[in-house]
Amino acid sequence: MKKEFTPRITSFLCKWCTYTGADLAGTARLQYPTSIIPIQVMCSSRVDPVFLIKAFLSGSDGVLIGGCHPGDCHYETGNYHARRRFAIVKSVFESLGLESQRLKLSWISASEGPKFARVANEYTEEIMELGENPTRKNIFL
Amino acid sequence: MTDSELKGAVLPALKKPGGAVRDFLRLAMEKELADAVILPMKVPSGDSFAWILMNDISLLDDAVPIAATMPVQGAKALRSLTRKGPGNLKIIAVMRPCEIRAAMELSKLGQVHPENLILATYDCPGAVQLQKYVDDPAGSEEYFAGMLQKGKPDDSAKPVCHTCENFSMFDSDIHFGYLGLSEKEVLVIPGSEKGSALLEGLGLDLTKDLQAWEKGIDQLKADKLNSRKSTFEETKAQLNGFNGLLSVFANCIGCHNCQSACPICYCRLCYFDSETAEQDPDALITAAEKRGGISLPVDRIMFHTGRMAHMSLSCVSCGQCSDACPVSIPVADVFSYVADQTQRTFEYTAGRNDGDPLPLRQFRKAELPGVHELVKDADAEVPSHE
Repeated sequence: MKKEFTPRITSFLCKWCTYTGADLAGTARLQYPTSIIPIQVMCSSRVDPVFLIKAFLSGSDGVLIGGCHPGDCHYETGNYHARRRFAIVKSVFESLGLESQRLKLSWISASEGPKFARVANEYTEEIMELGENPTRKNIFL
Repeated sequence: MTDSELKGAVLPALKKPGGAVRDFLRLAMEKELADAVILPMKVPSGDSFAWILMNDISLLDDAVPIAATMPVQGAKALRSLTRKGPGNLKIIAVMRPCEIRAAMELSKLGQVHPENLILATYDCPGAVQLQKYVDDPAGSEEYFAGMLQKGKPDDSAKPVCHTCENFSMFDSDIHFGYLGLSEKEVLVIPGSEKGSALLEGLGLDLTKDLQAWEKGIDQLKADKLNSRKSTFEETKAQLNGFNGLLSVFANCIGCHNCQSACPICYCRLCYFDSETAEQDPDALITAAEKRGGISLPVDRIMFHTGRMAHMSLSCVSCGQCSDACPVSIPVADVFSYVADQTQRTFEYTAGRNDGDPLPLRQFRKAELPGVHELVKDADAEVPSHE
């Protein structure tokens, strides 16, 4: 019997908002899939384009960046910069014809536990429809 | 200064455009309006060019202001000279527009200080591919003479030259124009206050209107834009997804020559050359177990994709990366296309000297609606700062 596909979504979560939001989702016992692999970063702008590319090429089926809402960054403007960097990677992916849906940027505040659970569920669904990342099995990377 | 008011001065061009440029520089040095110039000169073996910073006027005789090929991107020469500050010497640098544009990008990155430089460009017909030039210097010079006469690239030129839309005046201090003009004249056009002051100091009368030259440029630009469009379509089709990307870069030997030839990649220690980028052997073995196999050394595709993400906003499509590639990967074609798209995202053109900082150094509060989730009603718009 074929094993059911469980996506792996490497998630870079900002310490001040989204990571705390994820914690809240946990303490509130909200259900969200195990596909989310959280990595805490001090700010969404800490995520260098290479982090996303590396995660993608290493076989992550999805890559998520979670940051504070625009205007709410702990460092005032970090998330605006993160958005610009993210746009570059997205553009590079689109130019190269790679699946840019495997990259996602989401704003989730520390108080938005339910939103975190919702995003985690919805994004996992989306990735399951896309299927496994073709880089996962490639040996010529 | 708007384009319609702009006028230029006529230089006699009995010795071809390069000769006119040389005479102009000689005059500037004699009148002490410049302390030194930076120009290409043939290397003793005769099969390449080197950038020479010269303050001895007699050296000008051997200089080749409009060289057939570009072994080292001029912006690198300017960086080595001004990376710690503008210096005291007033220096005129005559370079291809893509070289000046790269220098502009480097100045935004704090790597070039152009305050005391006078950056001069010319109508660039394209550059002969370095390998072709080294293999056959005499033949290449003939090719280049033909290119110079027509003002546009032929088959021996770098592929990116065929799709270059910024081959003429582009935010330089002075520009030497010859397209659309009779063979006996070269226009010198001021592009900044610094440039105007130089021409005034030389006693050149800016009386010639630029219509004929502008018409020549516009015609060529239209052709180039067409070829740019079709070439980008081809590149896009060739890339077309993960397998396309793999096949384009399939024979990459991981030498990183493209990166060291790139004028924009100035970082002293690139992440991709660092210890951090080297993966742990155990991790490689685990990866191989999971995938069934793994090619070594790893991360060739990540290197190229990562570089696209790191530098494509400043890419000026000079084509040095392709020239430097020992296995003939069309690196520049891919980067040029990708850069066109990323720069479009921010409505940015690399090499502009309009005081606008690099896209990554600024942001707008409401922008890029397509790349992140739009704030829904339920999430409520959050109050912005300031």
